[in-house]
Amino acid sequence: MTMGVSTTIRIKRFLANGGLVLLLIAGIVFITYLIQPRILAYQNVINVLRNTAILSIISMGQMLVMIVGGFDLSVGVLVAFASIETAIVMGWMLQIMPDLAPLAIVLSVLIALGTCGMIGMVNGMLVAVLSLSPFLVTLAMSSVVAGVTFYITKGIPIYGMPESFTIGFGRGFIFGVPTVIVIGLATVLIIFAMQRFTAFGRHVYAVGSNPVASRQSGIGVTRTLMLIYGISGVTAALTGVILTARIGSGQSTIGSSFVLESIAAAVLGGVSLMGGSGRAERVVAGALFLSIVSNAMNLLRIDSKFQTLVLGAVLIAAVCAELFLKGRRERG
Amino acid sequence: MADTLFSSHLAFLQRLGPLQRLLPSIFVFAGFAMYQPTVISTGNLWNIAIQTSYLAIFTMGQVIVLLTAGLDLSIGLTVSYVSITAALAMMQAVDSPTLALLIFLSTGLMLGAVIGAFNGFFVAVVNINPFVVTLATFNILLALSSTITDGFPVSGFPPLIGEALVNTEIFGIPIPIVIIAALLLVVHILLSRSVFGRSLYLIGSNRRMAFTAGINVRLHLLGAYTLCSALAAIGALLLTARAGSGEPNFGGSLALETIAAAVIGGARLRGGEGGVASAITGALFVTVLSNGMNLARIDGYIQQFSIGAIIILSLIVDRYSHSNRSS
Amino acid sequence: MADAPKLLDMTSITKRYGPSLALDQVDFDLRAGEIHVLFGENGAGKSTLINVITGNVKPEAGKYILEGAPISDMTPQQARNLGISAVFQEFSLIPDLSVEENLFLGREKSRSGFLNKAVMHREAQDFVKKLGFEIPLEHQVSDLPRAQRQMVEIAKALFGKARILILDEPTASLTDADADILFDLLADVKAEGIGIIYVSHRMREIRMLADRVTVLRGGKKVATVDGTDITEDQLVEMMVGRHVGELYPKITHQPDKVMLDIQHLSSADGNVRDVSLNVRSGEIVGLAGLVGCGKGEVGRLVFGLDEIASGRVSIDGSEVTVKSPRSMLRKGVCYFPADRGTDGLAFNRPIRENASAAALDLKSIGGSGWLHRSSEASKVRTVLEKLHVRPLLPEQLVVQFSGGNRQKVMLARGLMRDLKIFLFDEPTVGIDVGAKVEIYELLRDLAQGGAAILLVSSELPEILNLSNRIYVMHDGEVVRHLEGKTRTESEVLKSFFGREKEGVT
Repeated sequence: MTMGVSTTIRIKRFLANGGLVLLLIAGIVFITYLIQPRILAYQNVINVLRNTAILSIISMGQMLVMIVGGFDLSVGVLVAFASIETAIVMGWMLQIMPDLAPLAIVLSVLIALGTCGMIGMVNGMLVAVLSLSPFLVTLAMSSVVAGVTFYITKGIPIYGMPESFTIGFGRGFIFGVPTVIVIGLATVLIIFAMQRFTAFGRHVYAVGSNPVASRQSGIGVTRTLMLIYGISGVTAALTGVILTARIGSGQSTIGSSFVLESIAAAVLGGVSLMGGSGRAERVVAGALFLSIVSNAMNLLRIDSKFQTLVLGAVLIAAVCAELFLKGRRERG
Repeated sequence: MADTLFSSHLAFLQRLGPLQRLLPSIFVFAGFAMYQPTVISTGNLWNIAIQTSYLAIFTMGQVIVLLTAGLDLSIGLTVSYVSITAALAMMQAVDSPTLALLIFLSTGLMLGAVIGAFNGFFVAVVNINPFVVTLATFNILLALSSTITDGFPVSGFPPLIGEALVNTEIFGIPIPIVIIAALLLVVHILLSRSVFGRSLYLIGSNRRMAFTAGINVRLHLLGAYTLCSALAAIGALLLTARAGSGEPNFGGSLALETIAAAVIGGARLRGGEGGVASAITGALFVTVLSNGMNLARIDGYIQQFSIGAIIILSLIVDRYSHSNRSS
Repeated sequence: MADAPKLLDMTSITKRYGPSLALDQVDFDLRAGEIHVLFGENGAGKSTLINVITGNVKPEAGKYILEGAPISDMTPQQARNLGISAVFQEFSLIPDLSVEENLFLGREKSRSGFLNKAVMHREAQDFVKKLGFEIPLEHQVSDLPRAQRQMVEIAKALFGKARILILDEPTASLTDADADILFDLLADVKAEGIGIIYVSHRMREIRMLADRVTVLRGGKKVATVDGTDITEDQLVEMMVGRHVGELYPKITHQPDKVMLDIQHLSSADGNVRDVSLNVRSGEIVGLAGLVGCGKGEVGRLVFGLDEIASGRVSIDGSEVTVKSPRSMLRKGVCYFPADRGTDGLAFNRPIRENASAAALDLKSIGGSGWLHRSSEASKVRTVLEKLHVRPLLPEQLVVQFSGGNRQKVMLARGLMRDLKIFLFDEPTVGIDVGAKVEIYELLRDLAQGGAAILLVSSELPEILNLSNRIYVMHDGEVVRHLEGKTRTESEVLKSFFGREKEGVT
């Protein structure tokens, strides 16, 4: 009797700690493989991993914001904003210093990351200093940034980036591994190390778990929140830069689907909606799951528009599973 | 003594409340009128009145869930989905205009109620964060409304629809304004004089208190979300009739606009405050602003920018006006 | 002692919250190597004073001098750096982090940007050895029982270099054995020249520890007295501002038939186990025990707020299924929660709506689904008058009122309908003496009017003076049932730590 109970608890605990997502990934891969073996072809695997890397990067920022008890809805428009900003600034730079393409690339990317980081910090400041609702602040910020983005471009793509950026960076390889995957891995590793091995990482959990106690323990809560929203801006911008390089132009229309996808990846990765918990490595598993689902749907020739539907359903299912597995339900 | 002084001051402000909330609209209107005199033309005034009433009914739905300390991000896609599906259903009976009108109205209302009940079920019964639930619903409805007709509008409505829901006037007032005003009156009575309305305010102010006081929290939340989507559906039907076609892209930014309007109108994001007056005054402000910007030929993207900026400002104002009272 | 240097010297500290003064020109000082007890009722201003000292609350006026240097704008961080260490009643630990991570929170040891976990672990172990009591460094705080969290909390405050140690009722959830360890530790701390501010209203501790006692009442300082030659009665009289005898009304209990009968009740979360007790009409039954012993949960279970795992509840002789507060209200049971903030009141709604919230299904108020607003208003007014709510402004928001009136508004909820059984959970927490007396009188009137009342309280004098019978709980179980002459303080205290188990009827 007691054995039985403890086994159920152990299974529940395994499922709640990421086991469910891994099982689902294995299941989907297996079923799809039976119908369409191409899912395990080298090119397809690389493709899935690349998408996972891109989604993981933006989900890192989203995860951190969710750990401190918020949401960042502005990540979608920041992707677009970073995209056109990179393209425009890179164009200017190349005119100023035509011979220094690498420098122009690096500078324009850094400027894009920096601006989006600042926008993120403004979000963080409004949330932390004025204690406004995080999701409304970031929703409103989305409207502001989208307005600027479209006003600048009128919705027209911006071309004129050097091949060393589009092909060398966007489609290039480092030691035989696609650059995008390397960057994704590096980002995840940095955030992972930050969470595990730095004081700041601990403070982030503390602020999300109990802001009052954190303040009493001498943690700068406002500073922490601003930095976190800033990081979310930077990771969104990095995603925008990568997409820009891969598409080969600055696009004001990309990125909107990342809001939901990054939240879904984080929730699937066990980030609590109440704040206080969430780990980088598990969010990557969430991102992998979403990439595989969409890849499998493509391979099985399911209308791509239905993917948003599946995504919505997966999000609700994931939250329900979290509630069920952790048994955290209140009466009333 | 201090209590009484404070209260008389407060009571005065509360009495002034709705009027005070009109001031921003009046200022903005006056500003645009000086810049662009066509703003004051009779035609444009009617235009503002009609647009305000459409936005007001959507905002009313949003206010009802904001009251319960929730929100509905899916309201815009509810409008799109209801518009296109009700239009499609009606086209099956295009030969019999009366039947078509009935099908149009009943399909729309039913769909609205079902979507609302879906949101309400997950928020109230399963107890999931309303933001996540309605975000997911948003995406599900987005997929549905963009696939049903591959993104094309459904047109070719029988003229009866237009006559019944758009072009008729009652005592010189366009019928959509009459319908919406009547609905808002009903909602006002419901919120201020029914046990249902009272329960929503108490739940929004403190959900656990409401439960402890014996209020059926789940049932009322379910009702609030259903009512919200039903109102959105009625608005969607009126808009669809006006456009003469079912449109898959009606409600894109409606979530943001309605939340902005509600907050500007004095609804409290943490629940427990707001009413029909918030919906009307807030909708009027957003309408006057975008109408003025349109007439002044201000770029649509700058309008988007301004709405975002205004929300942030109104959030800050909301914060200070409420925290002054509750610190 | 008297010539030891002043660590802390505060004069005329004033702090206002909305309409009420939390601190009204309070003077307070602390010398090196002394234990200075802060004594007063809940809501007397003790917590606010501590929060001013630790920089969590900014006073509107007053002088704050720390080791001779005037402080103009204290922040929590600065207070910590200056060696002010506080243990609050609300836990300041992060539940998602381990004990060791909590010890170092905000002062982590890093080397070139990365945490130096080995060094921190060694320091933590050395510290625990010096401390003399066990705390599980590796465990996540959320897994620890309440008493152990309290020890971790104290350890955290002592960790590092404290000059001033502030303890806010540190023994509220400790066993006697743990408390003794703490007292030994405090003696060592004192000897090192650290000043200790100790908040408590347990006489045993004040007798053992206090060098000086400062009594606060209603935000004002009553007096600072020498700890060694003050009697308990003197202290209590200073605290409440009147003779002890005047505080509690005479109650004639006339126990009749059993109205509420609980048999073998256990909660789903395990905090209440196999509890059996009963309450008769016409009497007040007290439920006593330490913080965290499960006494508060009993009322919540019976009212349907928490989930019942097993057991039977009978109302007026017939067994009932506890479904929800709604169903229990209709069966004539009302529970008044201890926490007015989370369960009790809708702060940004008017008093009238709060008072009538539990009566919306009554025919005279809203049984048809529509509100009868004039009859609601008049009924609320009658009840508020009965409760002496002053000023009587039912359209005011609850947030604009002070503790005593807020509590009365919550109690009004139970008087709006015809009820037979009342469960009071800490009914006088954080309210002034005047309101307290009025609430005691309400309890008396209800009991003498034939209601069955269960009074859950951490204030022992309240239980002793108002109850006809007393149950004592320890660690989730009822360990004692006291009737008649056995209802004495020493008998209750004996059972607080679950030493004796006697037949419980």
